[in-house]
Amino acid sequence: MNRSLRRCLSTARCFTTAASAPPHGNLFNSRSPITTRLNFVNSITEDGSQIPTFRVLDGAGKVLEGAQEPDIDEALGRKLYEAMNMLPALDNVLYNIQRQGKISFWMTTHGEEATVVGSAAALALEDEVLGQYREMGVLLWRGFSLDAIMGQCFGNVNDHATKGRQMPVHFGSPALHFHTISSPLATQIPQAAGVGYALKRDPARRGKNCAVCYFGEGAASEGDFHAGLLFASTIPSPTLFFVRNNGFAISTPAQEQYYGDGIAARGPGYGIDTVRVDGNDVLAVLAAVREARRRCIEQGRAVLVESMTYRVGHHSTSDDSFAYRARQEVEDRKRIDNPLSRLRLFLESRGWWDAAEETALKSRQKQDVLDAFKRAEVAKQWELKELFGDVYGGEEPWNLKEQREELAGLLRKYGEDWEPWRKELEKYRGKGKELINGT
Amino acid sequence: MPPTTNTLFKPSALSRAWIKTVPPIYAQTRRAQSSEAASGPPPAGGHLPSVATSQLLKSTRESALHVQGIRWIDEVAFRPQDVLSSGRETRKMNMFQAIRDAMSIALAKDDNAVVFGEDVGFGGVFRCTMGLAEEFGRERVFNTPLSEQGIAGFGIGLAAMGHTAIAEIQFSDYIFPAFDQLVNEAAKIRYRSGGQFNVGGLTVRTPTMSVGHGGLYHSQSPEGFFMGASGLKIVVPRSPIQAKGLLLASIRDPNPVIFMEPKILYRSAVEQVPIDDYEIPVGRAEVITAGSDLTVLTYGTPIYHCEAALSMLRSPPLSLAAHIPESVRSASIEVIDLRTILPWDVDTVQKSVEKTGRLLIIHEAGRTGGVGAEIAAEVQKRCFLKLEAPVRRLTGWDTPVALQYEKFIIPDALRIVDAIVETLNY
Repeated sequence: MNRSLRRCLSTARCFTTAASAPPHGNLFNSRSPITTRLNFVNSITEDGSQIPTFRVLDGAGKVLEGAQEPDIDEALGRKLYEAMNMLPALDNVLYNIQRQGKISFWMTTHGEEATVVGSAAALALEDEVLGQYREMGVLLWRGFSLDAIMGQCFGNVNDHATKGRQMPVHFGSPALHFHTISSPLATQIPQAAGVGYALKRDPARRGKNCAVCYFGEGAASEGDFHAGLLFASTIPSPTLFFVRNNGFAISTPAQEQYYGDGIAARGPGYGIDTVRVDGNDVLAVLAAVREARRRCIEQGRAVLVESMTYRVGHHSTSDDSFAYRARQEVEDRKRIDNPLSRLRLFLESRGWWDAAEETALKSRQKQDVLDAFKRAEVAKQWELKELFGDVYGGEEPWNLKEQREELAGLLRKYGEDWEPWRKELEKYRGKGKELINGT
Repeated sequence: MPPTTNTLFKPSALSRAWIKTVPPIYAQTRRAQSSEAASGPPPAGGHLPSVATSQLLKSTRESALHVQGIRWIDEVAFRPQDVLSSGRETRKMNMFQAIRDAMSIALAKDDNAVVFGEDVGFGGVFRCTMGLAEEFGRERVFNTPLSEQGIAGFGIGLAAMGHTAIAEIQFSDYIFPAFDQLVNEAAKIRYRSGGQFNVGGLTVRTPTMSVGHGGLYHSQSPEGFFMGASGLKIVVPRSPIQAKGLLLASIRDPNPVIFMEPKILYRSAVEQVPIDDYEIPVGRAEVITAGSDLTVLTYGTPIYHCEAALSMLRSPPLSLAAHIPESVRSASIEVIDLRTILPWDVDTVQKSVEKTGRLLIIHEAGRTGGVGAEIAAEVQKRCFLKLEAPVRRLTGWDTPVALQYEKFIIPDALRIVDAIVETLNY
């Protein structure tokens, strides 16, 4: 046995922190050691450095020295890549048709393909997902159809997610265990803690599934973030919190959103296992979320994953990000740290992909999206009566019955004579007749 | 034979000590008449002596079993004609015991039901969850951290998964951090998801209204703020029998319900309460006293002040005789307990006002934008030509509930009788 090891063993200091044998004991009924040094802490790392970022692949898709070989096969590799590519295939069409006035709104996933698809691939299909709005990739991974996506964007009769009641990107699907998106930010975070508790209480799903909550670094400023992590860590419930730290909350850069070390630094504040990962490295995201999920379910407690990425696109079709950042910055990021090319280069290095496949994939996906768009363009909207449906379950209250009848009366009175209304009624299946005729 | 409260309800040492200090009814009335110096500090949970002698509370088994609209929920499905009220047991309970009884039944019959909120584990600050954690376990009855937005959000998540989430917000004055979750989320989940998701399994219970010494932040009546959140239901019980039946109905209603319990009634209101599982319908008002000259519409604590006011109207004390002319003393007053604020029972109210031609709405909440404003607007629309007097609202003032001034803020029996007389003489 060498000398330093012997010394270590005798002092027992190298295997445990200095606090394990505190000279003045611990605070009464606590594990907090008493100290005579008035020492302030402001970092969870001892030397004040930031929480490290986990990565597997470098910018050129090569496995880093020291990294573990990724646990994927060709089938999974291709599936990841195809799902990641479907996002820009959809984004390019949907963004442009919004510009043409065919749909009202769109939010792209540009730059975050690895973050969203890599995490989705690490989950079980039945893990309950509560997203924010930029997680269409999770739905695509689980098999949400292009017609369903287009349907929701057009609000047409194929929109089962919202029956035309919500803006685009507000997807949902009970069959795919994806809770319907709502616009208010961060409201899903404490809800996810409750969803996790329901899974824990269900003997058929306890130990098998967890709740998974997605949100951005901006939404993490909301009080609901604190409430959600507090509940899932304390009650506790098996809820995996996944932060897409993409650098911006609309125009607000991350350095104006928080002062601490990102969102990851908050995890230990709740006593939960936390990891920061390179969100543009899909294999790192996959590995990190697999492990996070395992811990979450085993402990029955919250786990936090912070995925560092970059929002290449604008916040939404209502935003022009060049009003607050340089074009060059965006171009540089796309070139230097591209999640799609990092995976593609890795796949090519394994002989699982080539240029011909690339061309074929892009062409096929573009065509599929355009076909779905053409079908959606001509589909009807839901019946106008759906305006009044589903406010309550069970017996409908009198005020809604009366108000529906009031609208019906107005349609009977003006529906034929008033051109703007007559035109508008054309788009609904049934043209509002079910209201007018009182059926 | 269902177990009696004495086996279900295992009071902790704390509550046993408290029970010893609760004076019997006769001492309560005597105390109400004695001087301030002799009576000691007010009970933390509030005390309304007039409620103790209220005729509205059912003090016999027979009257309790035949409460209007009661619907027995028996485990074995009887034919409707077999469902008898007679032959069932009742037990004397105050309002917090009746509420506790309702939750106990919900937890016993529904494996997916859980009860949670601040301090519910040891029995709750108003004793509404006494013994539930001991009986059903800490996985089903548990404390949450101190965060109303967390409680509401957590409850919504549970309910979205089809579970029965019975959440407690410790005082309705503190419900506002949960406002976003309740109004933007709970109320709208079914609608915005095209009916694919819903949180019907959510019930949010919360103590409400004045308690005698609560000041700004232990006395509020925030029901008005939620009236515009279509998709929610709001229920306010007036008594132990009503509270148990309405709470069970609210828990089982396929919509998120905010159940607001007038806290001063927790101990003051005592009656014989059926021990079986029963519901009282949500969305239906109750005509407690029939009449033909004027309709009084209210909910919660003011019901008992109305009772006192009607007695003062019929036989005024000498000091008020001059203010209450003979002509109005025999007026026939119809009193309606609204019970459900949203959706409110417009048909019962309309039918009554068409008969009487006069409406007085009473609530503790402030006047502007209150529940009374909404009801008054709808009634004047429907009954315009039948009205003999403007719809009168008797409410708290548009001020917060100030501690030392409470007796002049919360509508009392005198203000009620004054409003009745004015409306009758319009």
